[in-house]
Amino acid sequence: MAHISSENQQIVFKLVYFGPGMSGKTTNLHWIHAQLAEKYRGELLVLDTEKERTLFFDFFPVSLGRVENYAIKFHLYTIPGQIHYEASRRLILEGADGVAFIADSRMGHLEKNIQSYRMMIDNMIDLRIPVDDFPVVLQYNKRDLEPLIELGSIERELGLSPGIPAIEAVASEGRGVMQTLRLLSMEVIRKFQL
Amino acid sequence: MVGATGALISLLISREGVCLSQAGELTSLNTTALAALVAGMFAATKEVATIVGENQFSILLQQGDRRHIHISLVGKRSMMVIVFEDYTRIGKVRMEAKKAGEAISRILEMPVEKAPDEEGEIYLPRFKEYALNLVDRIFRVDEEDDGAHQL
Repeated sequence: MAHISSENQQIVFKLVYFGPGMSGKTTNLHWIHAQLAEKYRGELLVLDTEKERTLFFDFFPVSLGRVENYAIKFHLYTIPGQIHYEASRRLILEGADGVAFIADSRMGHLEKNIQSYRMMIDNMIDLRIPVDDFPVVLQYNKRDLEPLIELGSIERELGLSPGIPAIEAVASEGRGVMQTLRLLSMEVIRKFQL
Repeated sequence: MVGATGALISLLISREGVCLSQAGELTSLNTTALAALVAGMFAATKEVATIVGENQFSILLQQGDRRHIHISLVGKRSMMVIVFEDYTRIGKVRMEAKKAGEAISRILEMPVEKAPDEEGEIYLPRFKEYALNLVDRIFRVDEEDDGAHQL
């Protein structure tokens, strides 16, 4: 849940980019960082291995400005997608206000997406995050790499409610990236409670 | 804490990586990133503790050439981070961190009572409207560059 600090007069929302390994979570963050004006963005931390796999997490803060005397900030995190980094994933999900699930649209990756989404739900349940009412945006990334999985196939496999917002994206070209962030941020603010 | 130990900075951060309170020479360090990374370090250390049969390690100490970091658990959900330069003061840092940690922990564990004006401070419908406007303006989607569409 959002972190409200009366002392610092700020409200911090935590947004997490979740998804299987190599689905484009870090690419999303890089694009957002490059697109935002300097006055809004903090330093981008990327902690990866020499093979460009996220080891710990990527992170950067965004400061939107002040509302009602409170500075509004978003902290954007990615999780390491590889299955064996369970501990890091749990840490990053802790206290999250919303998740952008970055799916790999390439044919043959459907099972990896499903497995990762199920892992996310398991982690959320462990952390007592209310799964049903939690802001999630699903991004079908890599829509330029055919053959592709059908849109809606992830939701169908997982039996997700049809209302979950989904976006097509090519994060390496920036397509769909800001739209994902925007939709997720709006959903998080709409559900914000004191 | 900074005064008592001669430290450069002292931060109180949440387990989620948000800086709750800070003091000292803050301009020289990126405290937002520091808070996020320290929270990550602590979580990783907790897993290491589990592997070696401990519940958790309550103190982390990083020793550098010039600067050192002392991190200690405060209550169940916070951590105190002290960055200092004179390593001979480690004993003092440790003692003051323990004392302050216990005092803060008692405060944090007190039942939270809402101040009478707390809810009036943020009028939620107006807050949401303005915040949504900011998101709309800052996380803008350039239609020409962005061929994506919501399904």
